[in-house]
Amino acid sequence: MSKTILLVEDNELNRDMLVRRLSRAGLDVITAGNGEEALEQMRSAQPGVVLMDMNLPVMDGWTACRKAREEDAIAEIPIVALTAHASAEDRKTAMDAGCCEYATKPIDFPELLAKIKKLQGDD
Amino acid sequence: MSLRRRLTLSLVTILILFAINVGTHFWGSVARNESMIAYRKSVTAAQLSTEIEQLINDQRQTILILSTIRENTGDQLDQEEYAQAQAKLTETRDLIARMGKLSRNVTREHFARLEEATETLLDEWQGFYDNYNDPEYHAEADDPLAYLEASQKLKELEQHQAFIAVQRANIIDRTIALTDRITLLGFVASIVLTAILGFILVRYTNQSLKRLKRGTQRLGSGDLSYRIDIIDDTGELGDLARAFNDMSEKLRNAMHDVSQARDAADEANAAKSSFLANVSHELRTPLNAIIGYSEMLHDELSDPGEVDRGQFQLDLEKIIRSGRQLLSLINDILDLSKIETGKMSLHREEFMPAELLEEACEVIEPQLRARNNTLEKSDFTTLPVFNNDASKFRQVFTNLLSNACKFTENGTISVTAREPDGHPGWLEVTVRDTGIGMDADQQKRVFEAFVQAEASTSANYGGTGLGLAISRDFCELMGGAIRVKSAPGKGSTFTVTLPSDPESTHADA
Repeated sequence: MSKTILLVEDNELNRDMLVRRLSRAGLDVITAGNGEEALEQMRSAQPGVVLMDMNLPVMDGWTACRKAREEDAIAEIPIVALTAHASAEDRKTAMDAGCCEYATKPIDFPELLAKIKKLQGDD
Repeated sequence: MSLRRRLTLSLVTILILFAINVGTHFWGSVARNESMIAYRKSVTAAQLSTEIEQLINDQRQTILILSTIRENTGDQLDQEEYAQAQAKLTETRDLIARMGKLSRNVTREHFARLEEATETLLDEWQGFYDNYNDPEYHAEADDPLAYLEASQKLKELEQHQAFIAVQRANIIDRTIALTDRITLLGFVASIVLTAILGFILVRYTNQSLKRLKRGTQRLGSGDLSYRIDIIDDTGELGDLARAFNDMSEKLRNAMHDVSQARDAADEANAAKSSFLANVSHELRTPLNAIIGYSEMLHDELSDPGEVDRGQFQLDLEKIIRSGRQLLSLINDILDLSKIETGKMSLHREEFMPAELLEEACEVIEPQLRARNNTLEKSDFTTLPVFNNDASKFRQVFTNLLSNACKFTENGTISVTAREPDGHPGWLEVTVRDTGIGMDADQQKRVFEAFVQAEASTSANYGGTGLGLAISRDFCELMGGAIRVKSAPGKGSTFTVTLPSDPESTHADA
């Protein structure tokens, strides 16, 4: 299984920050700016884990999740929702869309790393 | 007909029947009484006749005996005997006179004949007694003619009296039978009429009351649109039904108002909840950058080797920028809260609108570039001097330009400002973009606080949805107004009209 992490984030600052911190933690990171780009990257790069913001232009994270789950080639790739929506309801919406983990912004980085490690270890 | 009139009519009818009964009874009594008196008179007259007959018979016997004695013995009539005979005669006359009084009307004719006959007889007898002691007198005492005549007349009178008594008795019987019949008839009629009137009254009242009851039940079970069929009555029950229908109508309206108010409150509540969720979301986005970069820089400082000072400075600037963004967001929320609670005040000062408009255009320059938009400006130099709230003026146009930029990509944003014709001292500024635009429903809601044109708009374009709400409130505080014209895909045009001085007398636009 690929060790590559796909980070989907439209906010420049947050994308830059997370890419650098994940790389510093020794992870191989590729990025996408919206849901459509994310789906393309998942098909071509087959990343081990996807970190996906939910509020995205063009195609939002929830839609991208659902589409990914319907596509056999990428249906099994675990997706971690990264979102500033903090309520239990928001968490459920993300899980229903097909995410397997949920992290609320501001990100608790050590916890996020632990989740990524766990998902990579699962495979 | 009203219930009261129906009841009154029934009562009057029954009273009339009652009065007829009572009247019949009294009339019967009077009629019976009259006949009774006449009957008694007849009976008394019959008794008198018997007495008179007896008296006349006795006297005739006496006279026949005396006459025989006189012829045979020539005895004289003494004083005492004469007086006795006189008394008998007087008594007879008295009785006849009494009879005359009784026979005043009905038997007058018969009595007159009797009186004539007895007068002759009694005169004859008087003559007999007067001349008894006169030997010359030749008494015709046994002459039976006068006696028979009187006797005959007395009998006739008696018969007539008896006939009248029977007649009176018959009349009494008939009167009693008649009054009995009338009383019975009146009684039966009263009962029948009372029953019929009662039945009609109960039936009519019952029908109407049933309708009223049904209406009350339907209304009670929540069917506020139910109306009682118009009761064909101009009286109390009709009034009651109409009053009931009026009440239903008012209740329905009141319930409608209440339900509308509740819906509005629910909507406001839902909007507030979603606003809070949005605020939370918007606060977390810059916080994520601030915390993330801080932690990262903290980690990098503990790394061995040289720190890239240039990169370090850039990262710190990102933290500062995110902090400022957070601050402006918090300020927006506070502004709105102040406006909502009526604590936002106006700080008037003199300023040149042209300068502030230029400033706003400069501030959004980075946003313009980021989305590859072009800015077009009209000539601002001829605008009037303002004596209004400069800070709010600046914020309104920064918001409008920032919004225009947010919803437009590779397009044009144009700002035009002018003093409208005929309204000196006023300013009209339009901010036009070529962005995604809005439909009619979105335009209606776009200035409402806590409401974003669409939930997904917030997701796609960010923002708390407070900018336009604050801008509208600020414009109104400054004595002006803001309006929007837009169509989906055709861009939006926001027009702001402001007076140079909110208290100026020529603020008449």
